Amino acid sequence: MKFEDTSQNLRARLRFIQAMVVLLLGVLSVRLYVLQVVRGERYAEIAENQRRRRLPIPAPRGVIFDREGRPIVDSRPIYNVILTREDVKGKDLNSLIEPFAEGLALDKDILRDYFELVKTMPAFESIQVKQDATPGDIAWVEAHNLEYPELRVEKQPQRRYPANGSLAHVLGYVGEISPEQLKQQASKDRGLKPGDIIGLSGIEQIYDDYLRGRDGYREVVVDSRGRIQDEIEIVDPIPGRDLVTTIDLDLQHAAEEQLRNSATRRGVIISMDPRNGEILALASAPTFDPNLFSQRIITKEGRAEYAALLNDPETPLLNRAIQSRYPPGSTWKIPMAVGGLKQGAITLNHSNLVCGGGIQVGNKFTRCMGNHGSPDVKAAITHSCDGYFYRLGLKMGIDGIVEMVDEFDLNKRTGIDLPNEVVSWTPSREFKRRMQPRDPEWRDIDTVYSSFGQVYDIITPISLLRTIAAVAEDGKMYIPHLLKEVKAFGTPGTPDYRPPVTFQPLDQSRPNPKVVPIPEDIHQAVVEGMWRVVNGGGTGARIQMAGFDIAGKTGTAQVVGLGKDVGKNKDHSWFVTYAPAYEPEIAMVALIENSGFGGSHAAPAIRGVYDVYYRKTRHEEPPGAVKQIAKKKEPAEIGEPAVAQQRPAGN
Amino acid sequence: MVAIIHKRSWRDFDWILALLAIGIVLFGTIQIRNAQPTETYWVKQLIGLSIGLVAMLAIAFTDYRKLLNLAPAFYIFGLILLIIVLVPGIGLKINGQRAWIKVPGIGQFQPSEFVKVTTAMMLARYFGKNRVQALTFKEMIVGGLILALPMGLILLEPDVGSVLTYLPILAVVLFLSAIKLRLVVASAVIAVVLIPASYMLGVKTGMVKGYQQERINVILDPENADRRRIGYHTWQSILTVGEGGLFGSRSSVEHSQSGLKFLPEPHTDFIYAVTAENSGFVGCVLVLLAYIVLLSRLITGARRASDRMGMLFIMAFVGGLTFQIFINIGMALGISPVIGVPLPLMSAGLASLIATFIAIGFAISVQLRRFVN
Repeated sequence: MKFEDTSQNLRARLRFIQAMVVLLLGVLSVRLYVLQVVRGERYAEIAENQRRRRLPIPAPRGVIFDREGRPIVDSRPIYNVILTREDVKGKDLNSLIEPFAEGLALDKDILRDYFELVKTMPAFESIQVKQDATPGDIAWVEAHNLEYPELRVEKQPQRRYPANGSLAHVLGYVGEISPEQLKQQASKDRGLKPGDIIGLSGIEQIYDDYLRGRDGYREVVVDSRGRIQDEIEIVDPIPGRDLVTTIDLDLQHAAEEQLRNSATRRGVIISMDPRNGEILALASAPTFDPNLFSQRIITKEGRAEYAALLNDPETPLLNRAIQSRYPPGSTWKIPMAVGGLKQGAITLNHSNLVCGGGIQVGNKFTRCMGNHGSPDVKAAITHSCDGYFYRLGLKMGIDGIVEMVDEFDLNKRTGIDLPNEVVSWTPSREFKRRMQPRDPEWRDIDTVYSSFGQVYDIITPISLLRTIAAVAEDGKMYIPHLLKEVKAFGTPGTPDYRPPVTFQPLDQSRPNPKVVPIPEDIHQAVVEGMWRVVNGGGTGARIQMAGFDIAGKTGTAQVVGLGKDVGKNKDHSWFVTYAPAYEPEIAMVALIENSGFGGSHAAPAIRGVYDVYYRKTRHEEPPGAVKQIAKKKEPAEIGEPAVAQQRPAGN
Repeated sequence: MVAIIHKRSWRDFDWILALLAIGIVLFGTIQIRNAQPTETYWVKQLIGLSIGLVAMLAIAFTDYRKLLNLAPAFYIFGLILLIIVLVPGIGLKINGQRAWIKVPGIGQFQPSEFVKVTTAMMLARYFGKNRVQALTFKEMIVGGLILALPMGLILLEPDVGSVLTYLPILAVVLFLSAIKLRLVVASAVIAVVLIPASYMLGVKTGMVKGYQQERINVILDPENADRRRIGYHTWQSILTVGEGGLFGSRSSVEHSQSGLKFLPEPHTDFIYAVTAENSGFVGCVLVLLAYIVLLSRLITGARRASDRMGMLFIMAFVGGLTFQIFINIGMALGISPVIGVPLPLMSAGLASLIATFIAIGFAISVQLRRFVN
């Protein structure tokens, strides 16, 4: 270096710069090593994920049929108009309001509010501009493809339930899986993922795994704006399996109509085949519209509607057949009579007990509504003599009553294939201790109360129906159920084939049927008593159908103490029945809340359903139509209780 | 006479330097094509290379001393270009910066890239006298002014990224002009201590705004910064680089980060990320090695220069080049903030490419005349 000057140590400074160059670029190579070699795989995966997207192809949900193959619930495709958010980036959303509102018949203000909301959402989301678009809307979107390329139409299956809330409590409904459900291990085992539409209630819930099917998907490559560039894979969805229920729509509609026309429009009618437990009709009123959950729940109005349902004092969401408990009133006398005879508290030869117009226990007199002399067990059933059953109860004792309850499974769930069935409350020493901690001792008066379907007997309509059906069927207690068959899927012999599935008890350990041995003579006596209720001048005489041999028992269940039983606090009206008496085909229970005597409300409602059944099976007009009977003046019910002036305190 | 000079010139010509530069440009052109397969940037880059080579040869065989004597004229011409670019109608506004002059036929070019060369010439000329004593305060002021004029004009565009690349040019020139070591050490200490300290103070007092902090956080911790907005470029670039792995990504060009437009500006600012995705760690390190060899050749050339002026010019160029390479690649690797600085010889862009070849031509000229007095 010719110009070098030792004082400047230029050579050293140049070397320093050279070192700096190597150092800086060395730093870069270290960083490169970290990014590409150490973390390379992780970043590659993230990069891969951000360009791959799985677009689900929803599986069509199985159709639900009635027992005769009539469709009850199906999924129809609806079309939604979608706005791809990335495509309007930078565009003024407000300029789209006018043309969209006009072309798609939408409200401008609603659209404006919606776009305001959308501005706060992540840019990659799609926006649903219109749900359930009409063919006209779809045509408009297609015609304006050039002006508004950001709009597209998307197909989505939507569950459609019957109108008027028909069968709502049986069918249940579907909806999007909730975050809480997603966290449950069971959901993970079933392979559920966010956004899945699953059954949330009713048989939609119980048989969800059959009905749901498996979603397919399209695996695509998208660019940074979310636009599809390439398709990698298509997996077709596996459709859900169709399901045949035991429901007979004709009976179901008849039962619903009876409830709609009843005095309080609140109540239950269940109809079952006693020979196998198949539920033919199950109506609970008031009801609700399940379409709310499958269609409208995402809208503001839908949520308000749901809140109103939750707060409704008449609890329309409740399935009264399996989730409400009522005192059974005099219908309780049927299992009592069977129990008493079986246990030998009375015998068929010496079954007479004094009515006495009531009974004196200690300082309390519990009265009977009539004076029946000294009836035998058949007459006591026919005329619903309380005095008789007070004494029968005392002869059986609380332990005898508990034994009877246990035999008829009245202290267990019936095992029906619906979610959230509750257990009845039945008399026991333990129950009294819990109910009345101040007077925990079980007394004779408690036994009296337990013997005529009040105070300690608070049961679900379904469990009562199962008991009556068992009496009809000589002690065979089938598990009530709604599933007739899950239809086969695919072609037999192929690996995808799934054979048909029939009802299996959810609790596999329970026998179906459970058999309560009832000696034939006892069976005959009780049946005769029940037959006379309708055909022998008993409390249900008004619904007699000549030649059809209806057996039944009325019940009038007290809600509050005597004297206050008016208006809203009127007694519950019950009727339990089966027919024909000596060759049972159909068993039913009806409960009309707070309407009064069993013979005047529940029994005529049952008759309405019997008429439909009779027409269907006998192909002729039923003898003695219910209307003629209804015109008659209501006869005062004999022997029905107005018991509990002497109710225990605190009830 | 001309023939003799030419014969010797060809022999002394720094072939390694020239071929290395051409090699990097050709490799870069392949990456530009990978980044934007449907566009013609790579063709333009080849045209730029041809023009650059002609310019390089022309300057290499011209006596650099004659050119440096004319440095003030070039410098003023450069300033005029920077003023012209600010005039609406002539200067083209892209992304809010009026930094380009439209040239019919070619497209547009960025004068600030050329002015870097003229400014380096001016500094070399001013500080190029033989030194007998340490740098004076007056010299530092004048040096600062030479730099400040173009920087000020570029700030008006405004192009902060380009402005920053001017600073190392002066720094290197001062460092090699016998600036007192205490001053160097002092300013280094000030930079190391005061910058983070004042940043912390600024955060605490609220002088540094939230979005400004966010920019810093993107560099300190790109994975947890806002990946959708302010940290988007950095995060996507890191993913692109990472995806390259050891030998390059296996996904097709259409499905690559740049092909799907996840990586922004893939052919200019983030060309190195594209390189990383396509050629992996191995390719990336080779590119870095190529740059190190190229810079070392330049420094060797400076060491052998026959006068201060030539040495200073080459080293000023080395300073600018190193800084730009470090910032640009650092940007792709997520260790320096995203400022629009092109990667010399690789990023698509005629002005940067041609200006770099002009400077290389200059360096070759200095070397060719190392024995000539």
